[in-house]
Amino acid sequence: MTAIVEAVDLKKTYMLGKVPVEALRCVNLKVESGDFLAILGPSGSGKSTLLNLIGALDKPTEGKLLIEGIDISKLNDNQLADLRRKIGFVFQFFNLIPRFTARENVELSMSIIELTRAKRRKRAEDLLEIVGLKERMNHKPTELSGGEQQRVAIARALANEPRFLLMDEPTGNIDSKNATEIIELIRRLNDEKGVTIIMVTHDQRLAAQTKRTVQMLDGLIVQENVNQK
Amino acid sequence: MKTRDIVSYAFSAIRLRKLRAGLTTLGVVIGIAAIVALLSLGQGFQNSITAQFQKGFATNTLIVSSQSFLGTESSFQLLLNDSKTIENIENVTTALPIIQQMCFIKANGRTLPVNIAGVDFAQYQSVYSSTFVAQAGIIPSNPDNETIVVGARIHDPWQNQTILVNVNDTVEIIWPTVTSGFTRVNETYTGHVSAVLNEVGGFSIGGPSDLGVYIPISKAQSFFRTEEVNAIIVQLNSSDEETIKDVSAAIKNALSDQVSVTSATAVLSTISTIFSFIEIFLAGIAGISLLVAGIGIMNIMIVSLMERTREIGILKALGMKNRTVLLIFLGEAIIIGLLGAVIGIALGLSLAEGVARFGFLAIGRGQGMANQTNQVARTDGLTITPVLTPTVFLGALAFGLIVSVVFGLYPAWRASRLKPVEALRYE
Repeated sequence: MTAIVEAVDLKKTYMLGKVPVEALRCVNLKVESGDFLAILGPSGSGKSTLLNLIGALDKPTEGKLLIEGIDISKLNDNQLADLRRKIGFVFQFFNLIPRFTARENVELSMSIIELTRAKRRKRAEDLLEIVGLKERMNHKPTELSGGEQQRVAIARALANEPRFLLMDEPTGNIDSKNATEIIELIRRLNDEKGVTIIMVTHDQRLAAQTKRTVQMLDGLIVQENVNQK
Repeated sequence: MKTRDIVSYAFSAIRLRKLRAGLTTLGVVIGIAAIVALLSLGQGFQNSITAQFQKGFATNTLIVSSQSFLGTESSFQLLLNDSKTIENIENVTTALPIIQQMCFIKANGRTLPVNIAGVDFAQYQSVYSSTFVAQAGIIPSNPDNETIVVGARIHDPWQNQTILVNVNDTVEIIWPTVTSGFTRVNETYTGHVSAVLNEVGGFSIGGPSDLGVYIPISKAQSFFRTEEVNAIIVQLNSSDEETIKDVSAAIKNALSDQVSVTSATAVLSTISTIFSFIEIFLAGIAGISLLVAGIGIMNIMIVSLMERTREIGILKALGMKNRTVLLIFLGEAIIIGLLGAVIGIALGLSLAEGVARFGFLAIGRGQGMANQTNQVARTDGLTITPVLTPTVFLGALAFGLIVSVVFGLYPAWRASRLKPVEALRYE
């Protein structure tokens, strides 16, 4: 199987004021189709930086990051934008557009890839049904609970049939009861629909559902585990 | 992203901040309205000038007076006989002396201040054949001394069918002379009205006016006991510039350079020139208000950019291109600009209508009454109908568009250049 994501000697250095900060020092990672990977580690260990690079939101300082065999450091802004259309993002703080309803938020990502209005609407409704929000699709984010908002965000991330999902602490801002539902939804997506998922999490219950975990510390991957089920 | 989706996205962002967008739009509305009002009034003014020409305005006439058009004093007297001298000049067909005096007309128990003009009826009619025309009665070519011809607004001064003077009425002409110190003495004679003129409207430069009262020149001569005339209207056999120039020079020469010669065309063009200067000046001020409106647009776009940094991050994470982000933000500015322009055009036009209906009419009437002096040119309630030409309409739209694009471009560009990671991290 070919790797969807492959990091080779990946380095990322930030300037924090005038002080350079080595967020990633030398990361090697391979993610294959159908994988379900959790990136663990204390804050400041470089997990979010790695996730941003995999999501083509940022470029590496050194090394290579291949997404479906393409090195993102060689892409311009436009090509990166095109690449991001094939990636589904789920954020800790949901990042829905507050003035749009649940359905409009899901449709937004499809309007970016210029899907027709009718198709968008149909697909948004289908996706909201999958995440269990069909009844509440005309509600705005402020009228939804944290768990419901995160489900809208997951539906939005799935809208453009992404190659993989990137999740940044998807349960980090949700109460435990709702988190259980989200964890179950994420597990089913991987299990039943075969969606490749890469996530950063502190949630041990969520990490326990994954197929693999990598542990990061000070910009390096220090440990890799395969979860036996 | 499709254009339609970009537009509806931009609209949704504007709807979010209705008051703020509304106030910014108001700035554009004021600027555009001011420009449209001024230009459409200006156009209306131009049109009424043109209409005067088409109404048989005598372009082949010169006005000779002892004073300059602007009224500087001179000891020189222009006399009745000077018209004979002028008539001998080449290319002159008629020289028509006018004796004018401020008087009062008393008819049917009412008194009205009027400008009396003593003219040779036959000559006057031949020079102003389209305006010295009776709507009632007959203008005799050999009038007796008591014959009087009145303008339309003397017949119906308040324009409400309250007739002051009618054909065959007997009226008194009262001339308040000042004799011996400050004692005012009224001299009076009784005349009969033989004709009421057609309405002339607008400007009268030398020609018949709605507020004029006309008596035979011989009567004016004897009643006012003078040989001095206020002006001599000179008709030429051609209206081309060369002839006007030559004859003007010849007249000045013949009357030892003591007179001013003004062509009717020159008067009108002077008036138009002054008016266009005023128009340009005012439009400039309106332009400044539009500049301020543009800065307003830039201001709210930058505030909006700050507030929506995270939103821009989300859009970019979803794969939106820089260009699309730029178009969305520019679209918001353009919507404000175009909306402001459309409302501004409507407002400006109604403003111009209002000014034309109430403002100008009042000024026109006031002048008509006040100008009962020896001036040969005056306006009798000049009616201006504001005109919105396609040029002004499209120009105003384009202005709204340009202002919004120019001032919206920088914030939009900044929005498009935001780095997704930083935008998403922005609180």
